[in-house]
Amino acid sequence: MRHERKPRVTSSGISFNAVPMVDVIFMLTIFFMLVSRFSSAEQIPMELPKPEHSKASLAKIPERVIINCRVNNLLSKEFVQAVYSIGPNQPESLDVIARRLAAMRHQSPNLKVIVRADRRLPYAEVREVMRMLANNNIDMLNVVAHVDEEN
Amino acid sequence: MRDSANLSSTSQRHDSVVARVRARRLRRSRKHQGSAITMNIAPMIDMTFLLLIFFLVTTTFERAEGILASKLPTNAGRHTASLPLVPIVVRVQQAENDGHAFTLSLDGFDAKPTTFAALTAVLLNIQAQPGFDDETPVVIVADQDLQWDHVVACWNATLNANCQRVAFGD
Repeated sequence: MRHERKPRVTSSGISFNAVPMVDVIFMLTIFFMLVSRFSSAEQIPMELPKPEHSKASLAKIPERVIINCRVNNLLSKEFVQAVYSIGPNQPESLDVIARRLAAMRHQSPNLKVIVRADRRLPYAEVREVMRMLANNNIDMLNVVAHVDEEN
Repeated sequence: MRDSANLSSTSQRHDSVVARVRARRLRRSRKHQGSAITMNIAPMIDMTFLLLIFFLVTTTFERAEGILASKLPTNAGRHTASLPLVPIVVRVQQAENDGHAFTLSLDGFDAKPTTFAALTAVLLNIQAQPGFDDETPVVIVADQDLQWDHVVACWNATLNANCQRVAFGD
């Protein structure tokens, strides 16, 4: 049960009732606490594929490494090229990424690889990553796409 | 006489008002003595404001990310895995006149779906034919210049058709 406090009447007769304001602030705080999702630094902002009726699942993979394939903005818009990076790291060549992956898999053989590729990239650029993974004996390809909003 | 009477009644009224005010003050002071513990809500409101500002600044409304999983052939990337069944080959090609458009075709089938939803329907129809089921391998062959978005959409269409074995071909 909430006790209604009488507003303090000042000498000028104008009173300030802070209770509704506190109520609204509490409501807003609770709303943002529930809605906000802390994104990982590995998930670099990019335009991900948005398939209709997406079958992408929100599976949590414990031992994972994310390979980000972003559009290289330094080049002209007509020629779309990818830059690759492991998680939030600086962009590296696929050869370097392959060596790092091999070292990581040596330490944890159950390591899963997740490919986050920009939707605007040509298939050939992502295909290179798929080839590199296959050459590293990584048998599962996990590709990130947007989840269907209806799910 | 009348003036003195008025004066006496005024002073009586004044006395009664003063007595009432005193009684009220006494009641108030007793009340405060009875509940000496008060809560200062100012720090709580400060904290709530800070939390609110923090969440206002940090919250970004984004669509959730999910994962599409598929098997890759291992040991050598360019070697193809042996498929025991005759696969359904889905070709996704970039339209010549429009860089963002695509065309879909299936090797050995007349169907030419124009959308990925139509491709799902075609694949379901093929699976209903004798000799085909959801275990029949589906190979996606995409143009090298095709946007990754279309490749994922095609892959998603095969998954929507309950295809259990989806592979990527050159």
